[in-house]
Amino acid sequence: MAPAGPRFGDAIFANVERVNAELFTLTYGAIVRQLLTDLEEVEEVNKQLDQMGYNIGIRLIDEFLAKSNVSRCVDFKETAEMIAKVGFKMFLGVSASVTNWDADGTCCGIVLEDNPLVDFVELPDTCQGLYYCNILSGVIRGALEMVSMKTEITWVRDMLRGDDAFELQVKLLKQVPEEYPYKDDE
Amino acid sequence: MQFFGGSEISPSPPVPTASGNNAHMIYVFNRNGVCLLYREWNRPLHTLNAQQDHKLMFGLLFSLKSLTAKMDPTNLDKGNLGVPQLPGQGCSFHSFRTNTYKLSFMETPSGIKIILVTHPRTGDLRDSLKYIYNLYVEYVAKNPLYTPGTPIRCDLFDTTLDQYVRSIA
Amino acid sequence: MGREVSESCIDSLLTEMVTTYCNRFYANKPELAARRIEAIGFQVGHQLSERYTMERPRFSDHLEAIKFICKDFWSELFKKQIDNLKTNHRGTFVLQDNRFRWLTHLSLDPTTENTEDPNGRSENKGAQVASMHLYFPCGIIRGALSNLGIPCAVSADISNLPQCSFVIRIKA
Repeated sequence: MAPAGPRFGDAIFANVERVNAELFTLTYGAIVRQLLTDLEEVEEVNKQLDQMGYNIGIRLIDEFLAKSNVSRCVDFKETAEMIAKVGFKMFLGVSASVTNWDADGTCCGIVLEDNPLVDFVELPDTCQGLYYCNILSGVIRGALEMVSMKTEITWVRDMLRGDDAFELQVKLLKQVPEEYPYKDDE
Repeated sequence: MQFFGGSEISPSPPVPTASGNNAHMIYVFNRNGVCLLYREWNRPLHTLNAQQDHKLMFGLLFSLKSLTAKMDPTNLDKGNLGVPQLPGQGCSFHSFRTNTYKLSFMETPSGIKIILVTHPRTGDLRDSLKYIYNLYVEYVAKNPLYTPGTPIRCDLFDTTLDQYVRSIA
Repeated sequence: MGREVSESCIDSLLTEMVTTYCNRFYANKPELAARRIEAIGFQVGHQLSERYTMERPRFSDHLEAIKFICKDFWSELFKKQIDNLKTNHRGTFVLQDNRFRWLTHLSLDPTTENTEDPNGRSENKGAQVASMHLYFPCGIIRGALSNLGIPCAVSADISNLPQCSFVIRIKA
C-alpha cells in the first residue's frame, strides 16, 4: 500500500494539470440547472446526477490508481481513507475526512467541509429535495465498484440545507470477488 | 514523445534497452475478461482464432494467479484452490519465463490486466507495464470518445503504445 | 491565483455531460442534444464574462470585445491565448487555437476514420461524435459575447485536430 495521508494527496495535486475552479463550478451549476429544466422532477435530477457521477467514477478510478500508485484496495477501511485523503485532494484540491465508523467497519461517513462544487451556489426554494452535489456520491460509488466494493451511499449532512458540512454515508454492501468470466461451453 | 498539455506521465518511461524486435504481443483485459486490446509485433505462429487465443491467455493468468496464491508459504489466510479472489488479494506473480518467451503481467485493483510477451532474455518490465497503464489512463480512459469496457480503438493510444513497446523490447 | 481543481474534473464532467445528452436523453435527436449542450455552455460563458469584466470599462467596439475573448478570457479558461485571429471586417471573426485543450484527449477510432459507405458518402462517425463536444465551447463564446451586448452565432471547425477554429458571426 502506498503511503496515505494528506501530504501525499497534496503532492499529486501539485503535479497534475489544474484549471480554474470557477469554470468547473459554474459548468456544474449550469448542468444542474439544465437538468432541472429538462427533467422537471427533482427526484429525477438527483437520479441523473448520481448516474453521471457513477459513469465518471468508473473512468476516474484508473487515473486515481495510476497516479497514487495504489496497488491494492482489498481493505474497506484503508480504501475509504485513501479516497477521502488522496482522491478528493488529487481531483478537487480539498481533502475530506472519514468518521463515524460502525462497529464492524463496513459503514463510515466521508466529511467534506470545503466543497468547490458549491462556491457561489444558493438553492432556491423550488429546489426542495435536490441533492445538489449528488454527482459526488455517484463518483464514489462508481469508483468503489471498480475495485470490487458494492456500496450504498446517502447524504447525511448538506451545507446547502443548512448543515455545517457535507457528509456522505458510505455503506459497504459486499465485496465482489473476481469470477472466471467464461462458461465452459463458450 | 509528446505529452498532453505538458502534463507528465509518471513514471517516466524506462530507458530504452532493446533492439525493437523482441516484443511478441500485448494483451489488455478488463475485470470481466473482455479483451480491450491485442497487438502483435512478432508472432510467427498462430494456432487458434483470436477469440480462443484471448480466452486461453485470460484463463492462463486466472489459474496461475489462483495457484500462486494457494502455494504462498507466508500467508495463513487463504481459501481453497479456485475460490474467487478480489483483484489484488493474496500474492500475485509478475512474470514467468520459458525457454522461448517471457510473459510479464500486471493487474490493477480495478482489474485491468496488462500482459506483455517478449523475448526470454528481456529484463524486469514491471515499470514498463506501469508506464503502459499510465498511457491507458491518458489516452484511453480520458478519451471522451471511449466507452469504458469496450475494445480500445484510439489512434493516439495505438501509435504511442507501438512506439513505446518497440523502444523497450 | 484563485482556487483550482484538477483538469480531469472538468474533462470528465464535460465528457459525461455530452454523453448523457447525446446517448441517454436524446439518442436519436442529435440536434436537440446539441441545443441543450450549447445552452449549458451559453450559461457558463455568460456568467464567466460577467465576472471577468466587472472591473473594466465597456468595450468601444466589436473588435475590442473579440480581443478580450482571445486574450484575457481564453487565458482564464485555458491558461493560453487564442493563437490566431482573423476577420473579414464585416462581422465575421475566426479564432484559431492550435492546441485546444478540450480536444487534446480526443482520439478517433482508426478503423472508422474516413471510410466510405456503399453510397460513396464519406462517413466519419468519429468526427460526428467529436463535433458534439464542440457545442459547449461554442456556447461559452456566444454566452460571453452576449453578456457584452454582442449577439452572434458561433460554430467550430476541427478538420485538423487538435487544432480548433471558432467562427463568430456577429448579428447586424
